[in-house]
Amino acid sequence: MAQYVAQRLLQAIIAIFGVLTIVFVVMHLSGDPTLLLVPQDASAEMIAQLRSQLGFDRPIGVQYLDYLGGLAHLDFGDSIVQRVPALDIVLSRLPYTIQLAAGALVVAIGFGIPAGVLMATNRGGIIARILSAVVVTGQSVPTFLSGILLIFVFGVTLRWLPTSGSGDFASMIMPSIALGALSMSTFARMTRISIIDELGKDYVRAGRARGLSLSQVVARHVLRNASIPVITIAALEIGNLLAGAVIIETVFAWPGIGQLAIQSIQSRDFLVVQVIVLLISFVYVLTSVLADLVYVIVDPRIRLVR
Amino acid sequence: MSADPIPLLSVENLTIEIGGASVVDDVSFHVAPGRVMALVGESGCGKSLTSYAILGLLPDAAKRTGGRIRLHDLDLSALSEREFRKARGKDISIIFQEPSASLDPLTTVGSQIADAYRTHNKVSRAEAYDKARQMLADVGIPDPDRRLHQYPFELSGGMCQRIMISIALICSPRVLVADEPTTALDVTIQAQILDLMKKLVSERGTAIVLITHDMGVVADIADDVAVMYAGRVAEIAGVHSLFAKPCHPYTALLLASVPTLDDAPKSDLATIEGRVPTPDEFGEGCRFASRCPLVTDKCRIEQPPLFDCGDGHRSACWHIDRMPELMEAAA
Repeated sequence: MAQYVAQRLLQAIIAIFGVLTIVFVVMHLSGDPTLLLVPQDASAEMIAQLRSQLGFDRPIGVQYLDYLGGLAHLDFGDSIVQRVPALDIVLSRLPYTIQLAAGALVVAIGFGIPAGVLMATNRGGIIARILSAVVVTGQSVPTFLSGILLIFVFGVTLRWLPTSGSGDFASMIMPSIALGALSMSTFARMTRISIIDELGKDYVRAGRARGLSLSQVVARHVLRNASIPVITIAALEIGNLLAGAVIIETVFAWPGIGQLAIQSIQSRDFLVVQVIVLLISFVYVLTSVLADLVYVIVDPRIRLVR
Repeated sequence: MSADPIPLLSVENLTIEIGGASVVDDVSFHVAPGRVMALVGESGCGKSLTSYAILGLLPDAAKRTGGRIRLHDLDLSALSEREFRKARGKDISIIFQEPSASLDPLTTVGSQIADAYRTHNKVSRAEAYDKARQMLADVGIPDPDRRLHQYPFELSGGMCQRIMISIALICSPRVLVADEPTTALDVTIQAQILDLMKKLVSERGTAIVLITHDMGVVADIADDVAVMYAGRVAEIAGVHSLFAKPCHPYTALLLASVPTLDDAPKSDLATIEGRVPTPDEFGEGCRFASRCPLVTDKCRIEQPPLFDCGDGHRSACWHIDRMPELMEAAA
C-alpha cells in the first residue's frame, strides 16, 4: 500500500511540474507580453524599456528558471493592473468560488447519485423515466442558457430568489444549480451504469439466495462496489466545476475567480490569469490524488496487495 | 428410483417459459432427506433454470407457468416474494458455479458468513462470528480466525467454494441446491469439495439437488439422477440402475461419449450427431427425435411420456424395447 501511495504522489508531482511548464510555454507562445501592456502608439524605445524592465528580453531558459524560482517562493508576480501580488488578488476571490463550487457539488452529488441509484434499480419504471428526462436536460442545456433561464423564471418573474450577487444562502441557490447541473447528469449516468453493471454480478444473486431483499443487497454490497468508478468521476468533476465557474460567475455577477479570470483577460492582466490557470490545474491534480487515496479505503484489493 | 422415504423437496410438473417457449417442460422429481439428486444435461437443457426456480430466483425474462415446488408440506410456489425470502438461506440454500464471483469482493468473508446467519437469526454480531468460525472449521478451513478477516481475493477458488458452502449451510437448511459446484475448480479440489458435500449430507441429513454436466461427478456423489434434454426429463433413475442399464437413447449415447481408460489411444471420441434444438424448434414430438438413432415417425408426432421400466427407473422414449440394439451398436 505504501508503494501505491508513494507512486501516486510521485505521479502528482510530475503532473504539477508538467502543468507549470506548459503554462509557461503557452504564455510565451502567445507572443511578447510587453506588447499587451503598452499603449498602441508607444515608440519602439518605450517598448524596449518596458521589456527589459519586466525581464522579457532575457533568454527563455533564464526566464523559465526565474519563473520556477518565483513559484518556489509563492511569488507569482504582481498584477499589472492593480500593482499588488497576483496571488493575493486570486486568494481574496477564491472563497467565493469555493463556496459556489461546494454548493454545485452538493447539487451534483446530492441529486445525481440518488437519481442514478433509482434509475438503475427501477429500470423501465415511471420514476426512472422522469429522472432520465431530468438528467438528459441537465446534460444538454448549456450552462449560460440554464443560468439565464433560472434568473428569468425565479429571479425576474417569480421574484423568489435574488438575480445576482453573493452573500446569503438564497443567492447561492441558482448559481449552484446552474453550475451543478452538468455534473449532476454525469454523476447520475455513471452511478446508473455502474450499479447496473454490479447488479448483473453473481454476488448479487448469491446475496438474494441467502434471504436478502434486492434493496438490502444494493445497500450492503452493490453501492460500495459501484462507488469505485463514481469516485474517479468525482475527482474530475470537482475540477470541471471550477472551470465551469468562469461562465456561471459572469452570468450571476458572482465575485469569484471565474469572474476575475474574465476581467483579467479583458484587461490583459496575464499574471493573474496565470495564477488562476495554475490553481485550477492544481485542483485537478490534487483531486485525482485524493481519489487514489479514497480507493485505498474502499477497495481492500488495493489496500492489501500493493 | 430406490424405495423413497417421505420426499423433502418435490418438484411437480414444473414448466418455465421464456418468450412463449417452454424451456423447462413438465419436470418432476423428488428428493428425500440425506439424498443427492443429480440433474444432468448439456448447457441450455434447463437444469440451471430449474434450480433457480426452486430458490424462487428466476431471471426476469423467465416465468414459471405451471407446476408446483413443495418443501415438505410447504408450497414454495405459492409464496410471495417477502415470504419466500424467509425460506431462502434458511430452509433452502444454493451454491454456485463461480465461488469467487459469488462473494462480494469488498467485504470480508467472515462478515458475509455472519451476515447470512444474522439475516435469519436475531443474534449479536459477536455470536454470529462465533457461529461463522465454527462453520469454517466444519467445512475444513484451517486457521478460521485468520480466514474470517480475509477478503475473497486472498483465497483460492476451492477455499471460496468452502466459504460459499459455509454461507449456504450456516442456518442448517434442509435442502441444498448445488449448481455446478465444482466446474470451476481443479480436479483435486473438485474431489475434496465433493467429499465435503457427501459428509455434510450424511451428517446433517440435508437433501441435495446437484446440477452438473459431469457424469463423473454424478457417479461419485449422486443417489438418483434425472437426465434432462431440451427442457424435459429424458430419463430418471437410481444412479446404479442408470449407469448399468440406460433406458433412453440420449443417456446411452451420453454415457458412450465418456472416454474410458480402455479406449484405444487416439481413437475418436463417440459423439452425438446434430445439435440441441433451440426453443422455437421444439415441436409436438420427442425433442431428441432429430438426433436419435432409434427414431420413427411416431417420435416426430407425439411426445413420449415417462414409461416405467422397472424399479422406479423411468424413461421418456417410445422405443425402450429397442434399447439393447442401440447398446450393441454403441459397443
